[in-house]
Amino acid sequence: MTSRMEANPISVILCESDSKGDRLLFRFPYATDSRHHGENCQQIRRRNPYAVTVAEDLLQSQPSQISNIQHGRLTGFTDEVLSTLFAVKPELCERKFELKVNDVRFVGHPIQLPAASTGRSSLGGSGSKLETSSHTTLINMVFALHATASHSIVKCYYDLSKRLGVALRHEEKRCGYVTQEAKIMVTAHDEFSARQGECNIDGAESAFDLILHRSTLAKQLKGVFQDLIHTGLIRLRINNWLQVSFCLPQKVHQIHFHRKNFIIEPEAIDRCLQSLRPYHGLLLLVEPSELIETLPPDASPALLRLVQVHTPLKSLQTLSADADLTLAQVFQLTGHLVYWAKATVIYPLCESNVYVIAPDAPTDLSSPFVERFSEQFPGMCLLQTMSEFSLPSSIGQKISPLLGSQAQAQLIRTVVWMLRHRLLLQLHTYVYFMASSRGLSWPHQEGSLVTGRGEGSFQSTPEEQLSLGLAGTWSGGHARSDSDASSISDDIVNLRAEKQLQLLQHRDHMSQNQSGFPNGLSMSPNMDDGSADGDKGHGLIPEELLADFSEAERVAILKIPAATNSDDLALLAKLYRSNYLRGLHHLEEIMYLENLRRSQLLQLLDKFRDVLVTCETEDPAIGIFYSHS
Amino acid sequence: MTQCQGNDKDRFYEGCGREGPVRCIFLSEFHPEAGPKIVCQVPSNYISKDTFESVSVYIIPKAQLQRSMLTVTVLGFKILGFPVKIDDKNYKRNAYYFNLCFVCDAWARTVQYESVVRKLSDYLVAMEVESKFLSSQQDHNVENARLPKILCQVMQDLNSHKMCTLTEGTMTTHLKVVRILQDPPPVLDHHVPIFTESPDLFQAEQWDLTTQKVLPYIDGFNHVAKIAAEADVENNLVKACLQNLVYYGVVSMIHIFQYSNIYATTPKLRRLAEDRRLQEDCVKYVARSPRQPPTVRDVFRMFCSMTRGTTVRDLCIRLSPHTLRINERRLVQFGLLEGFICRIHKYPVGNVEKPDPQSTAPQSFNGLLSMDEYCCQYSLTTQKLEELIEREPNIVVIYK
Repeated sequence: MTSRMEANPISVILCESDSKGDRLLFRFPYATDSRHHGENCQQIRRRNPYAVTVAEDLLQSQPSQISNIQHGRLTGFTDEVLSTLFAVKPELCERKFELKVNDVRFVGHPIQLPAASTGRSSLGGSGSKLETSSHTTLINMVFALHATASHSIVKCYYDLSKRLGVALRHEEKRCGYVTQEAKIMVTAHDEFSARQGECNIDGAESAFDLILHRSTLAKQLKGVFQDLIHTGLIRLRINNWLQVSFCLPQKVHQIHFHRKNFIIEPEAIDRCLQSLRPYHGLLLLVEPSELIETLPPDASPALLRLVQVHTPLKSLQTLSADADLTLAQVFQLTGHLVYWAKATVIYPLCESNVYVIAPDAPTDLSSPFVERFSEQFPGMCLLQTMSEFSLPSSIGQKISPLLGSQAQAQLIRTVVWMLRHRLLLQLHTYVYFMASSRGLSWPHQEGSLVTGRGEGSFQSTPEEQLSLGLAGTWSGGHARSDSDASSISDDIVNLRAEKQLQLLQHRDHMSQNQSGFPNGLSMSPNMDDGSADGDKGHGLIPEELLADFSEAERVAILKIPAATNSDDLALLAKLYRSNYLRGLHHLEEIMYLENLRRSQLLQLLDKFRDVLVTCETEDPAIGIFYSHS
Repeated sequence: MTQCQGNDKDRFYEGCGREGPVRCIFLSEFHPEAGPKIVCQVPSNYISKDTFESVSVYIIPKAQLQRSMLTVTVLGFKILGFPVKIDDKNYKRNAYYFNLCFVCDAWARTVQYESVVRKLSDYLVAMEVESKFLSSQQDHNVENARLPKILCQVMQDLNSHKMCTLTEGTMTTHLKVVRILQDPPPVLDHHVPIFTESPDLFQAEQWDLTTQKVLPYIDGFNHVAKIAAEADVENNLVKACLQNLVYYGVVSMIHIFQYSNIYATTPKLRRLAEDRRLQEDCVKYVARSPRQPPTVRDVFRMFCSMTRGTTVRDLCIRLSPHTLRINERRLVQFGLLEGFICRIHKYPVGNVEKPDPQSTAPQSFNGLLSMDEYCCQYSLTTQKLEELIEREPNIVVIYK
């Protein structure tokens, strides 16, 4: 079985249990013939009148059930068996119910409905109602899944069952909806069994046909089942009143990207969101207008604003400024959009971005992308366009002055299209400082921590501590998500990130003059920090700059002609000190964190190429969306 | 059993995918008067009476579910059972229902125990049919304490050794917990098997005869088709036994080493930069001669130079690994095994302009097969195929 099938439900079953016992109200799909067939087979096998029951035979060849899935459908269970299994004892209610039978896993959230006679419905309460009020009714909506489905899929289905259950309970409280629907279903079952010998009722072949015809709840369950298979998205109104929306991320992403054997787990999305940085960008996977149309009327206005100002050229930080939202809000909205497969995280488009073909991009001629691409861009061939990125190439390389502005725009549009379908992968440059033949070294290694060294001589030390302290006090509301978001465990890096946040917030402040965070205090040291660093470079002699390096490294560095330039050396020492030369940060991140220009960094890399090793690879935060088989 | 006692929330949560120990084994039966009940439990009272009552419907289920593997996860327990019914006129209800259940923690993965539960149940069925081993228990529970001893032994042996041998009278059974893994991908002709651990670490005698014949030819350079020819074993048999070895993690599959191959670095390369032990292993592995190992920096630089579009040949010309004391073939092997680098395949797509039905070369490329596969299928050298594709204007090559 392919993993493509694993996210699909096999069946949805609704059971009820009350004082009168348990019964299966509805199940979908209900393939009557195959079920009876299976049952008959078993009966024949067991009660063959000519078979001799021998003890040895009983031991060795008694058939044991191996599979309860036949042609993708549930088999081997009668309605009665299912209802006894799912009518759980009261102590198992309101919690996860999980049962695996052979290769089928059932998951649900049994709920207890309030006694029917309480609340408004008791107004016309008769004697019979009083009787039922002493018993609570139990409803269990169970999804049958492939037992091999991953735990995260099971969890999502459990969540769906719970959501639907809670909605049903609410509707039951409000207007007795479940009682009413259950009555319709029970009546249909009774009618059908009473007239089973006669001709079909309304052309219905089973009681479930009748139920589907009469009950809105049954129709909705059928809709849920079909939506789960086709789109993985559910949006319905229980009893035309309560909205329930649900997204099965494993399915949604699979369908959107046509990766049949690659499932994106919600945990992977979480990990991506945790490593999200303000310099990352957002790429909508659908047209903004299309997205806005599908939003419910009570959607967050912040989301609307974000979608309206969205462009793949802007970083999240710019988006937050443009949409007048806090960065934390933008991060949260990004999380939502990514989870629902409405957007993906990228590094904002710019000329220097280097792309290659994604490792899991389909290359076959019959892939659906080929056709869709030529629909979008008439006269162009997807595979041809893709092959231009066989070798890592930047947009800047592709754009030549000879190209007209129209062709340039076209190029950008094709790149965006391919990024949307995850056909392209961006490569980033990571830098490692390797001056000695022993390999990488970093300031920690020599036992001298950044904060503990050279008191007084480096102004930045006390300032960093200061800004950390401020960040601590400031982290009340909206630093929260952001400090959560930094996944790099290194304290120093965290500190940088936090410091950066403050800077960023400061920019917010500057640009809008209406920042909600009245702490100009934290700004000033940061501002000083930048300028002081710059000044320092000029004043110090190389030996002091090289204090962080070991003896052998110092010798190696001083051999390089560029080391005589104290500016260059200062920059190198600064990057080294900040742990940027350990392959943890790509050039764009260093540029962002240190407010440097790309040309400055590239020049430095070139000048010190004897001690610096560069490596081109993907950003791991974004790489989790690609399968690397 | 105590190894996982510290129920650390971070490591052991539902869905963590870890395997857990058996916490308890119990035997329950359908008592003709009292209904479902636990007859024997090791350790005693692990599953309380209340808990048992709330799940008894899954332990002694309806007739339709007899001989089905049932696993129910409730109240922090995961209970695996295999309900069995023995028809016999001598029983009070003309049948004896019982179920031998394993109890694990709710977070644990338990599929590996399913076959054990099934086999142990069958063993108990046999003993019951032979000597009423189970049904006589209820009468003299205290005196006849054989069953608790057996269950205790099973639990201890499975938890500590993953296997257990039971002998009761004339009957013996062997139980073994087998790790259940995903089926490994199919092995193809052009794949190259390579040991992931030293071949000295496992005894060659424990493998089947075919595998024993194949093992000496696995050196990280011979591809499947060549191994089949040299070992004089049928090609498909070689593939089957290699796939088996991949399943057990003894070998892993890489690609034929060619100087025209292209590799690219992955984010995992960072591990090599920081992990000193890995560096030692790597330097030792890729050294030309054990006495003069290359430097970490040279090795790392060479890995970093692997980008899309740079063939191994280009690298050798540029960096001359010989003078750096690096064996480039071993370097690529190590990189692939540790996941530092991945192979970049070339996928030709398109049709030949003037198809020649007599030609032995492929005439159309659907984009599903890489150059390697075409070369293998049509017995062409990579160079020939590349020349052919280069001549054709309608064929594009995609690197991925």
